Amino acid sequence: MSYVDAGYAIALATLFVYAISLVLRRRRWERALRVSEAPLAQADGAPGPGERP
Amino acid sequence: MSERAVLYSRSRWLDAVGALGVIAMGFTVWLGLWVTPPDKFQGNLARLLYIHPAIATVALYWVGIVAAGGSLLYLWPRTRSFFWDRLAASAVEVGAVFSALTLVTGSLWGRPVWGVWWTWDARLTSTALLLLLEIGYLALRRVPAEPAVRARRCAVAALLIAIDIPIVHFSVDWWNTLHQGGTFLDPGFKIHASASMSWTFLLGFIALSLIFVWLLGMRYQIEVLQDAVGDQELEVSLTERWSEDTELVGVGAGEGEPTPGGGAP
Repeated sequence: MSYVDAGYAIALATLFVYAISLVLRRRRWERALRVSEAPLAQADGAPGPGERP
Repeated sequence: MSERAVLYSRSRWLDAVGALGVIAMGFTVWLGLWVTPPDKFQGNLARLLYIHPAIATVALYWVGIVAAGGSLLYLWPRTRSFFWDRLAASAVEVGAVFSALTLVTGSLWGRPVWGVWWTWDARLTSTALLLLLEIGYLALRRVPAEPAVRARRCAVAALLIAIDIPIVHFSVDWWNTLHQGGTFLDPGFKIHASASMSWTFLLGFIALSLIFVWLLGMRYQIEVLQDAVGDQELEVSLTERWSEDTELVGVGAGEGEPTPGGGAP
């Protein structure tokens, strides 16, 4: 592999991996927000999971 | 999900910027590796210059403008908003990735051209210092503190980091460096490259700038979500505490012995 190929491969792979990591982190925090909102919804009187309204 | 979190996550314009950036980057790679001719002096090694200066431009100028500008606007009382703090923090994290790539791609070009992977040249050293300072900023951000205290602390740190940016920029003028000065454009803006090379160079700048905006936007969304989760957790704790207090008051009232202040004994 030449220096040029290595440079392009490292740059593109790093940006790709970082972008994927951001997508996964965003999903994880969206899930965390949904989970943290569930107790509040129950405290407000909304039916919890599996409960009848 | 709270309105604020919904507002800032999954924005279509950001996905469009990302798609454009990826397409432009694909064209840059195609033009840079297969279409443009080899350089008269450097041969194929010049192909690395279609991405290295563009990556360095993002790492230095775009990140510098967003991080320093955001920090200044946060510190300024009239414009103080966590929006600026989050934006600056997002820019610094993305900037650390681009700074590291600047050093790696520069090193891969320097080894065959200069004969060394690394030298303590003013441009290289100040860029490495920039990366270290950015990592330090990210560590500082993880130190537990009140949101306002953390934001103020980080804004000051970002402005201190910004001092390094003109040093990196002018290092090739202020000191005798192995790193060359501006060779693509001279002070009269006369381009010293063939048309295909110039267009590829320009496309690389556009592609990496779009990718920077995309990554910055995604990182910003994560900051918003993190803060929203923190707020929710605080609200849940307060609600639980309040309901415990109410139950205790109810029990106390039933027994005819109210607890002092109506709170927990």
